[in-house]
Amino acid sequence: MTVLQSGFALEVRNLIAGYQDQVVLEGVSWQVPRGSLAAIIGPNGGGKSTLLKTAVGLLKPFSYDTLTLLGQSPKLGRKRTAYLPQREEVDWDFPITVLEVVLQGRLVRKGWRGRLCREDYAASRRALELFGLAGLEASQIGALSGGQRQRVFLARAVVQEADLILLDEPAAGLDAQTQHELADLFVDLCRQGKTIIAATHDLDCLTECFDQVLALNRRVLAAGEPSQVLTEAILEELFARHFPKVGAGGEVMVHES
Amino acid sequence: MNLELILEPFQYAFMVRAFVGVGLIAVVAAVIGTFVVLKGLAFMGDAIAHTAFTGIALGLLLGIGIHLSALFFALLTALGVVLLTRVSNVRNDTALAILFTGVFALGIVLLSTNPGFVGDLNSLLLGSVLAMQSREIALIGGFALLLLAVLVLFFSRFVLVSFDPIGAEAAGFPVVAFQSLLLALIAVAIVISIQAVGVVLVVALLITPPATAGLLTKGLKLQMVLAAAFGLASSVLGLYISYFWGAPPGATVVLVATLFFAVVLVVQRLRRGSRLAC
Repeated sequence: MTVLQSGFALEVRNLIAGYQDQVVLEGVSWQVPRGSLAAIIGPNGGGKSTLLKTAVGLLKPFSYDTLTLLGQSPKLGRKRTAYLPQREEVDWDFPITVLEVVLQGRLVRKGWRGRLCREDYAASRRALELFGLAGLEASQIGALSGGQRQRVFLARAVVQEADLILLDEPAAGLDAQTQHELADLFVDLCRQGKTIIAATHDLDCLTECFDQVLALNRRVLAAGEPSQVLTEAILEELFARHFPKVGAGGEVMVHES
Repeated sequence: MNLELILEPFQYAFMVRAFVGVGLIAVVAAVIGTFVVLKGLAFMGDAIAHTAFTGIALGLLLGIGIHLSALFFALLTALGVVLLTRVSNVRNDTALAILFTGVFALGIVLLSTNPGFVGDLNSLLLGSVLAMQSREIALIGGFALLLLAVLVLFFSRFVLVSFDPIGAEAAGFPVVAFQSLLLALIAVAIVISIQAVGVVLVVALLITPPATAGLLTKGLKLQMVLAAAFGLASSVLGLYISYFWGAPPGATVVLVATLFFAVVLVVQRLRRGSRLAC
């Protein structure tokens, strides 16, 4: 038996997608090699979330030539994909403990059948320890700081044995120090062979840790390595109204209104 | 307090049945209702109760089983709500309100056209705890067991689709199936509760005890246990008050549940206030 193993964690060709009858993505093509640490940047309404949500099947695409996750159809590929929603999309007051959230990584794999077993608990505790959350197992999820919450969800992705992790605005609301810690975690996860794709407008962090960047504003403005994409010309076109500046050291500043 | 006075209601078989029936309903409604409170589905619970009423009305008029027709309407509403929330992201409460009040009005008109059912109309609106028969209590008990069994069996999955439906669906988990199943449980709980407190007050059994419990704990399982305790206490005290004062039992049960909520809320605010003052 031959298994068609594409080298891409995410591959879309000519993807047209959006909400109801409103087209947001006007024919987007992008390939993310496995093991990449990839960023989608662009203005609000530019389709960052739409692309992520369509990739994992939360939105039905209008049409496409190719759409694969981990070299498989989205239906199969998403079993090994974790999606971390935007901060506002999670009910942080929900009476659920940190350990219970991480255990859900195992539950989504089981689907209809199977109970959580001792091995699932052990794996979840190991993941929490790995992400520096030991001792917080019994805390209610909302009692944690923004950075800790992100790590809980990353731990859940690891427990789910996801090979592809998609994050929607993971840096939103985090201070600079915590953002850098998050970037370090991303790098670690990539070294373990995972692919990370994050929609973000935090360009400071981008230049440091991401190795693939997609500049997206309803269509692809540029895609590739950061040095090719994060040029003044492209950023100006992308954030026309936000006046981005590229500093002498290559760091990028975005002033959002 | 005089022990004889406490035991007095129990010399009547209809009161014993009322205690058992309402107690069962209150516990099940409180446990299932915890999910209703967490997901902010009170309005949908109200919609289900009102359309279930029309189901009962049709059942009476056509001479078919009222529980079955009520259940049919309740499930239809619950599934309709799932579809409605999936089709569009706009606020659906207007559409839902128009739909369920319209269906409810139809039920009232249907029942009123037949003079033989005017008594039923009254008892459906306000409940008829004292008229419960042993057979009905057995039916309620059976459904209660079934509901709790399904809830226990799929508990962590219901928590998953309630807490993070987006992440779960993205990973290929059957979110819609479990959300629908959970709503179906809520629908069944509402249908078996209508007899006790009536269409108008049924949401209170579902909402108030879990909301009271939610003030006291941040743990889901403990919230369910406390909610069941508040529900049970409300039904027992409410029935006593009804017995001695001659007030409609459905209303007194809900009134006691509301008082529990108010007392817990006030005590908690006072304690928090004094802690801040220190």
